[in-house]
Order: sequence, then C-alpha cells, then structure tokens
Amino acid sequence: MRWLAALMLALLAAATAQAQAPAVPLAPAAPPAPAAAPPPPVLTQLPLDSGLPVVVRAGLGFVDIEGVDENEEAFAATVDVRLSWIDLRLRYPAEETPIGYREWRGDEATAQLARMWSPQIGLANLRGEPTRQSRSLRVYPDGRVELLRRVAGSFAAPLDVRSFPFDRQALRVELVSERETADKVTLDYRQDDLLFSRPDPGIAIGGWTVGAVNLVREPLAGWYGESYARITAALEVDRRAIETVPALFVPLLASLLIPLLATWLNRSNNGEFEIEAFELTNIIIGGLFAVIALNFTINSDRSILASGLNTISLLFALNYVALALALAINVSLYRFNVVRAVAGRHVQHETFRFIIWALPVAIAGTALALILIAAA
Amino acid sequence: MRFRRSAPRALIVVAALVIAVLTFAANRLFGGMTSAVEQSQVELMRSIIAFNLEGAAANALARAEMTASDPLVRELLARQDRAGLLAHTQAMFNEQRDKYGVDQAQFHLAPATSFLRLQSPALFGDDLSRFRPIVVAVNRERVARKGVALARTGPGVFGVAPIRDMAGNHVGSVEFGMDFGALLDRLKAAYGLELTLFIDEAPLRAYANGMPPGAITEQNRLGTTVRLHSTNWTLMRDLVNADDLRVHDEPRDWVRDAGGVPYGVVLYPLRSGSGEVLGAIAVARSFAPTRGAAGRTDVLQWLFALLGFLVLAGAAVIVIRGWLVRPLEAITGRFATIGDGERPEPDPDDRFLAEEMKALAAEHERLAELVEAKRT
Repeated sequence: MRWLAALMLALLAAATAQAQAPAVPLAPAAPPAPAAAPPPPVLTQLPLDSGLPVVVRAGLGFVDIEGVDENEEAFAATVDVRLSWIDLRLRYPAEETPIGYREWRGDEATAQLARMWSPQIGLANLRGEPTRQSRSLRVYPDGRVELLRRVAGSFAAPLDVRSFPFDRQALRVELVSERETADKVTLDYRQDDLLFSRPDPGIAIGGWTVGAVNLVREPLAGWYGESYARITAALEVDRRAIETVPALFVPLLASLLIPLLATWLNRSNNGEFEIEAFELTNIIIGGLFAVIALNFTINSDRSILASGLNTISLLFALNYVALALALAINVSLYRFNVVRAVAGRHVQHETFRFIIWALPVAIAGTALALILIAAA
Repeated sequence: MRFRRSAPRALIVVAALVIAVLTFAANRLFGGMTSAVEQSQVELMRSIIAFNLEGAAANALARAEMTASDPLVRELLARQDRAGLLAHTQAMFNEQRDKYGVDQAQFHLAPATSFLRLQSPALFGDDLSRFRPIVVAVNRERVARKGVALARTGPGVFGVAPIRDMAGNHVGSVEFGMDFGALLDRLKAAYGLELTLFIDEAPLRAYANGMPPGAITEQNRLGTTVRLHSTNWTLMRDLVNADDLRVHDEPRDWVRDAGGVPYGVVLYPLRSGSGEVLGAIAVARSFAPTRGAAGRTDVLQWLFALLGFLVLAGAAVIVIRGWLVRPLEAITGRFATIGDGERPEPDPDDRFLAEEMKALAAEHERLAELVEAKRT
C-alpha cells in the first residue's frame, strides 16, 4: 500500500509539473527543467561581456639577474609577470571582501584558475622549465582579475656585439599569447604597468651597468595571416668597457708591435739591407703563432666574439694583415730586393725609410679608428 | 735650404692641407645630412603629437555627439533626472574608460553648470564658466567643439556637443574627455617614443581641485609645471629640466644625452580652446642610430684621409729623394773624385737613372776620361 501511494504521488507530481512547464514539442523525452534557474555561466570560456579583443594588460619586473652567459646568449633571472584583465562574470558585491579583493596563492591559485578563464600567456624565450615558479591571483569586486607570476629560469637573449666593448644589450623576456589570436586577446600596457616594469634596485651584474626596462608591443605572426599578441620587456644593460681592456685590448694591441718590429729591426745602407731576411721572417712567423694562440684563447673564452664583425675580430684581422704586410716586405724588399730590381737602390733606400714610419702610423691609425667606430 | 728636405716637406704639407680641407668639407656635408635627417625626425614627432591630439579630440567629439543624439539622454537631461541619467550611461562610460581610454564624461546644463560627472557622480552643481571656455561656447553658440582643456578632475582632450530636448530646445551639453595618459602610452607602444605630460601648476591648483590626491606634489613639480604622466620618467628627467619648461608657448626642440645616448626632444605646447597655454608634452626619441652612423662615417673619413695622406707623402718622398736627390748626390760625389787619381767603380744601378741623370753621369765619365788622358 505504501509503495502504491508513493507511485501515485509521483505520477501526480509529474503531471502537475508537465502542466506548469511550457510546451517543448521537439524534446518530449527530456526531463523537466528546474523552475526559473538559469544555467551557470561557463567561466572557462573567453569573457565576451566587454567585447573582443579582451585587453590583457601586462607588466614585467626584474627581481634578480643571476648572471649573463654571453656565449650561450642567455641570462638567468627571476622575473615577476603581472597580467590583469576584466571578466565581468566574476563581479561580486564589494561588501564580501573587506580588504578589497579575493586572493588565492600557490596551489589554490592554480585550482581557481582551472575554474575560470585566463589568458594563456607564455614566456616565449624561457629555455626549458622554470627553476622556480609561484602564483598569486586576485579578483576585485568590479571583475578585474590580476594574476601575478614569479618565474625563475634561463632566458634566451640574442646579443649584438658589433660595437663591443661599448655595446648596450637588451635582456629580453617575451610574453606571448599562446592560445588566442590577437583578434581575441591583445596585450597592452598603461602607466602603472610601466611603473611595475622596472629592475629591482639591488640588481648587480658583473661587468654590466643596469639600465631601465623598456616595453615594446610586437605582434607575432601566426598561420593563415593571423597574429598573436606579444609584449617584450627588455632590461637594458651597458657593458663596462674598461673591464675588457686588460684581458682583450692590451694583448691585441701589443701583438700589433710584432710585425712592426720585424720591419723596424732592419737597416738600409744606401739601399743595401744589413740583416738577413730569414731572421726577421722568423719573428713574423713567431708573431703569427702568437696571434693564432691569442685568437684561440679569446674565442674559447668568448665564443660570441668569434663570429661576425666586431671590434675584436677586426683587430685580429688587422693583426693578420699587419703580419702579412710585414712578411711581404721581408720577402719582397729584404730578400728579393724587388724595388731595387725595378727602380734601383736609391728608390729602395727611400722606400724602406718611408715604410718604417708610414707602416706604424697606418696600423696605429686603423686600430684607433676601429675602436672609435665601436664607440661611436 | 736643402732641396732634399724642403721639397718633400712642401709637397707633404700641401697634400696634408688639401686632404684635411676635403675631409673636413666631407664631414660637414655628412653632418648636414645627419642634421637634415634628425630635423625630419623632429618634424615627424611633432606631427605625431599634433595628429593624435586631433584624433583624440575627434574621437571624444564623436562620442559626445552620439550620446547627445540618444533620445533617452535628451529626455533625462531635459527632466534633470540625474539618477536616471547615471543609470542609463554608467555602464557605457565604464566600458569606454576600460577599453578606450575615455577618462571623463560630463553633462552640463546651460549655460555652464555641471549636472553629472560619470567619473565622479558625487561632484556636481558647480559653475564651469570660469575655466571651461569650450563648455560656455558650446552652450552659447549651440555648436559642437573640441580641444584640450583642464577640467576639475584633471586635464584631458575634450569633445563637447550640445543637447536638445525632444522639442528641439537647447537644454545643455555633454562632453567626453580622453585620458592623456592612455594617449601617451599608446603613442609609446606604437612609435617607440617616450612622452611626458607637464601641466602648469597655477591653473592646475586653481581649477583641477577634483584630481586624486598625490598628483600635485613636490616630487612631480618641475619649474612652474607639474608632471602628471610619463612613459619613462627615469629617462625623461635627464632630457627635460625646469629651464626648458620656463617658456613653453611655442614648439621647441633640442638634442640632449641621457645615459650616454643622444635623444631628440620636442616640447609641444598644449593650448586650451581660448588659446591659453595649459602646459606641454615633451616627446623624446633616441637619435643614437643617426648619431652613431655619423660618428662612424667621420672616423672612416679621417682614416681614409690618413691612408691617402700616407700614400701621397710616400710618393712625394720616394720620387723626389729616390729618383732625384740621392742619384744627384751620388753623381756629385763622383764629380768630386775627378782629379784624385781614383775613378769610382761603375754603378750597375745607373741603368735605372732618369734620362737627365744619365746625361749627367755620362758627362762625369767624359770629364773623368779627359782628365785622366791629360795626366797620362
């Protein structure tokens, strides 16, 4: 009897609900919807309440720079990435939070982020996985969301050493929207993001002077003519040029004296040379090995200077050219007396006297010019 | 005077002078080209500011005119229903502020009384006729206007449109003000410029008493102006000083170094609709590329001049001494031996003598033979 009464009550309730619900002719088998309860918003989808693209404001502060590896063209750093955007679906009454926002940190922030939409902004030039990472998430009553990430890792930083040692480098961190294209999510910055994007005053990098952080918007090209929003935060650092003088410039400029010595040491007596050419050529060959050894040493220590045009590679080139000139003078003038054979001993004598002052002036002038060009 | 020294010296001095003058002229020429390029950059910076201020004003006016044509807005303002107007326009204003840098929106009652500030709804009822000439003009002439102005809540780029009730009677006006900060930040993002907004302190203190506290501080004061926004104050404080801002009623420009980098700076005055100077925008752009290229060109020109001088000097010395002076000295020495009873050995290098020298050597031979024949 109890079972029969329950069945009748259920049938009565169903009949009542069917009578109150609007007719749904295409879905007669569907269960009746709960009365007047709208479906919960899908918070993990792109917020469209403020239209597209969703503007994500970005700032990046440099907390620490552990070091710059020029040969690897990378730097190890800890950075704070701040992203903020507006998601009106997350609004709530301000009275609910006396401190003015809701906050989650660490795993709680990760769990909260899984329940809501957030822009997938990656650090495009981060090499490998971050060595440390932590997050903080704040949601304000007006729907503003602020996501703060502290990331430590190694970042790729292409270095331009053409004006070494007077170069200024940009230690870049690239923020790229990895999921949504630029017509859906765009990255931007305003005054407070610029103020956030600065190096910690305590940052010190050996051999470098720390400058300011520069933010640049550079969209990244994608497939089918699409693009992805990208902001590059670049910390400008100036090389302390004076610190490179003892290790690099003193030996490079000193080695320039070797070919000059091999030219100077001879003497001309009315067009006749007094020292055998092979003795002087030995000096040149010794100098050649010395420069090769120096070249190998510097290239091993600073491989970035080995490729491309820069002051060091040009000074090495000048060394080789000076050695080649000295060798040519030794062989043609001192050994085979080419000038005498062509124009007589008087011209040879004057040619020698000209060479012993003009060659040092030309080489010193060229070396100075190469350094000044780098400094310009 | 010895020909051996004075002749080459004269030629070398002339060659050095000619090369120095030519190099200096070439340097001046390239310097002029660099200046022309930099001047075009300065003009471009000025045009960018003027064009974007004009664009911001047009955008503000477009928003004002659209709002002024909204029938509900006209009706609510005509009824002086402040709460209704706020409810109708608040969401629109919030979105415009968050996405498009709209900083201020205000409704006025004729002739110039603030009726509702959407950015500060609690502030209303004040008379604007003393410091808002555009609002007065719009309500007097009933024609839309735009321009830079200093409002109670700060400076902005404004567009003001008259509002009529549904019967066509003028009831007031509406204005939209674009935020200078957002405008300057966008210019930095788009053009890589650094910008700072300076507003004269006296009108700011007199009129803008609704600004957030902390805007007018000793830290932000520079001369007679107050810095209200900067995209990079660390840099700009080295480029603009109080003396530069003492007079800012006309556009000015200069080049100044900051952190070892030359920057071109343009000071663009801001005038209200009535022509009163309100302040200035300082715009800076790095001139390092042009200055660096000019410096490198200078160094290369002087290096080439040095090498050219060495070649000319060498040619002069070798030709005069090697082909003329030394052979002449040798033949003179032979003449000195005539009558000594010793005839010098024939010089095999005499075959390289010039024809004139050969004739002289032959004359010596002839005289020596004559003297010897007389002796025997």
